[in-house]
Amino acid sequence: MTEKPLIGLVQGDPAGIGPELMVKLLSDDAVRERANIAIIGDPSVIGRGESVVGHTIDRHHVSALERDQAAGQILHLDLAIEDIESVPLAQVSAAGGRSSLTGLETAFGLSANGIIDGICFMPFNKESMHLGGNPFMDEIGFARDYFGIDTAASEFNMAHGMWNGRVTSHVPMREVPDMLSEERICQSIELADSTLRLAGYDRPRIVVAAYNPHAGEGGLMGREEIDIIRPAVKRMQERQMQVSGPFPADTLWLKVRDGEYDVVVTMYHDQGQIAIKLLGFDQGVSLLAGLPVPVTTPAHGTAFDIAGQNKANLDPARNAFMMACDLAQGLSKAGGWYTQT
Amino acid sequence: MTALPRIAITTGEPAGIGPDLCVALSAMPNAELVLIGDEPLLQERARHLGLDPLDTSAGISIQHIGLAAPATAGTLDSSNAAYVLDTIRTAALGCQSGDFDAMVTAPVHKGIINDAGIAFSGHTEFIAELFDAKPVMVLAADTLRVALATTHLPLSAVPAAINHDSIVDTLTTLHEELISRFGIAAPRILVCGLNPHAGESGHLGREEIDTIIPAIETAQRRGLNITGPLPADTLFTPHHLKDADAVLAMFHDQGLPVLKYAGFGNAVNITFGLPIIRTSVDHGTALDLAGSGRANGGSLQAALQLAVQLANAAHSPSTTATGR
Repeated sequence: MTEKPLIGLVQGDPAGIGPELMVKLLSDDAVRERANIAIIGDPSVIGRGESVVGHTIDRHHVSALERDQAAGQILHLDLAIEDIESVPLAQVSAAGGRSSLTGLETAFGLSANGIIDGICFMPFNKESMHLGGNPFMDEIGFARDYFGIDTAASEFNMAHGMWNGRVTSHVPMREVPDMLSEERICQSIELADSTLRLAGYDRPRIVVAAYNPHAGEGGLMGREEIDIIRPAVKRMQERQMQVSGPFPADTLWLKVRDGEYDVVVTMYHDQGQIAIKLLGFDQGVSLLAGLPVPVTTPAHGTAFDIAGQNKANLDPARNAFMMACDLAQGLSKAGGWYTQT
Repeated sequence: MTALPRIAITTGEPAGIGPDLCVALSAMPNAELVLIGDEPLLQERARHLGLDPLDTSAGISIQHIGLAAPATAGTLDSSNAAYVLDTIRTAALGCQSGDFDAMVTAPVHKGIINDAGIAFSGHTEFIAELFDAKPVMVLAADTLRVALATTHLPLSAVPAAINHDSIVDTLTTLHEELISRFGIAAPRILVCGLNPHAGESGHLGREEIDTIIPAIETAQRRGLNITGPLPADTLFTPHHLKDADAVLAMFHDQGLPVLKYAGFGNAVNITFGLPIIRTSVDHGTALDLAGSGRANGGSLQAALQLAVQLANAAHSPSTTATGR
C-alpha cells in the first residue's frame, strides 16, 4: 500500500468515554494525517462525543462504504442500533453491548471485502456485551469465530514499546497447565515474531516467561519449563528467531522495562497484565493479532467514573489508532500475517 | 532493651554471593552483627575481594560453623548442603533461645541441597518446620507489603492448595503481625483473586466463589478489614494500592514480580507466623557473580535494617503493639 491505509474507527459502548475519545481522535491533526478514516457508528453516538468535547467533526455520511470515497474526507458509515439514543451515560445496558458488537461485526465484514485495511475500536463494556448477546469470553473469541481462524490468533498488549503476547488468556488458572503445549508455545512465539515484524521491527527480540516460580528451579517446582517451554524456545531459535527464555517472571519484567527485549510471551493472563498495566497503563494498547486484519483498541475500559466529563486521556486511543495504521501497512506489504517467517 | 539488638546473619550458599555480601558489611551503630558461617571461608573471600580482614572487635563477629569441603566461588558442591542448613538452624534456634534478637538470611541454592538428598523447598518452609509453625511469606518494600497464600510449589498445584482455612489463617497472621511488628493500628488488606478478572463471576474459574470469598467473609466477621477478591491486574495499580497496608496474593509470581519492577524500593522478604524475627534478601545466589566484587548489597542492607527495626519494635511495645 503506497497510499494511506483506510482505517475503520468503530464506536464502542456509548455509555463510556468512547464517544468523546472518537471526537478527540478525529480532531487530532497527526491522526487525520496518518490515514483515511471511516467512522463506523451510530450518528447519535458521535453526536454525544461532540457535545462533550465541544467540537464538531466534518464528515461525509454514507450508507455503504467504498474505498475510493475516502481520500481527503472523513467518511461516516451510519449504523442504526435499536434504542441507542436511550443508553444512559455510565451505565451497563443491552443496547450499549449491541452497539459494540454490531460495530465490530460491520468492520470485520468491510475488512473481509477488502474495503478497510485496519480497525480501531473504542472500549466495550463486558457486562453490556453479555446483555447484548455476546456468547464469547472476549473479543478475540468473537473475531476468531467470525473469520473461522483456528491458528494462534491472540490478544497482545503494548505500552511504552513493551509488547506482550499470551499463550493462554481468559481461562481458569486450573485449566492453564493442560492447555500449555510445546506446539502452542511455538505458535505464540511465532505470532510474536511476525506481529512485531509487521509493526516495523527488523528482528524482534523475544523473551519467553516461565510458568512456575523461579522458572521451576531445575524441576523442583514444576516441569513445564523442562518438558515444553525450553524445547519450544529451542525450536524457534533453530528457525532463526531471536528468542530467549524461559526466565522467571519476577526478574524478566525488569529487563523488558529496561529495553533488553521487545516482546514478552507470557503463559497466562495475569502474568503479563499485572506488569503491563502497572508499567504503562496510561499508554496501553490492546491488539487482536493473527487475524486477516489488524484490530486495535485502547487497553483501558469504558471508564464510567469519568464518562461525559471530557477528562479522558487520549494517548492510549491515539497509540491504538497509530498501531492499526502501522500494522495495516505492514500487512499489505507482507501479504499476510505469517509470510515472513 | 538496653543492649543493642544482636542480629544473626546466615552467610548462605558458600559458592554464591552470600559470603561476598556479608564480608562487605560495615558495622552498624545501632546493632551487633554476628555472621554465621565458616570463618576461614569468610576471611578468604574478604581477602580475595581486596577487603580488610573482618575486624571482629568492631561490632561484627563470626560464629564459626565449619564447611564439609573447601568452597570455590561459583562452583556448587553438594557435600556442603548440610553446612548451609546448619547455619540456618543455628541462627533460628539462637533467636528462640534469646542469643539473637533477629536473623537475616543470605541466599541458598535449593537445587544443590536437594541434590544432596535433603528435601528442601526454601528458607521459609525450613525455618517454619523447626518451630512447627505456619509461616506466611511477606515481601515488604517502602510503601507496599505483599503476602503469599502459597509459596514454592508448581503453579499447577496452586488451585488445589488454596483452601478456606489456610486463607483465613494467613489473613489472621498477616493482620496480627502488621499490628504487632509494623505498628499499623487497623491494617487494610486487599486480596487478589486466583483467576483472570478474579474469575468473572465464575466464567473464568470458581475458586473465588467457592473458596476465596467465603474465607474473606469469615475473616471479615472476625473484624478484619479485608477487601477482595480483586482481579490482580486491577489491584496492583496505584488507585487501589494507595489505601492498602498489605496485599494477599494467591501465588508466588502473582505478588512478587510487582515489587521488583514497579519501583517500590528495595524489597525485603520477611517470614510472619514464626516465634522469631526473620528477614531475607530477595535475590538468589548469583553464582556467576560470586567472588567478582560486582554483587549488589542493597537488598542485604535493607533486610538488615528491617531486622533491626523489627527487633527494636519487639522490645518496645509502647511504640507498636497497638492492637495487643
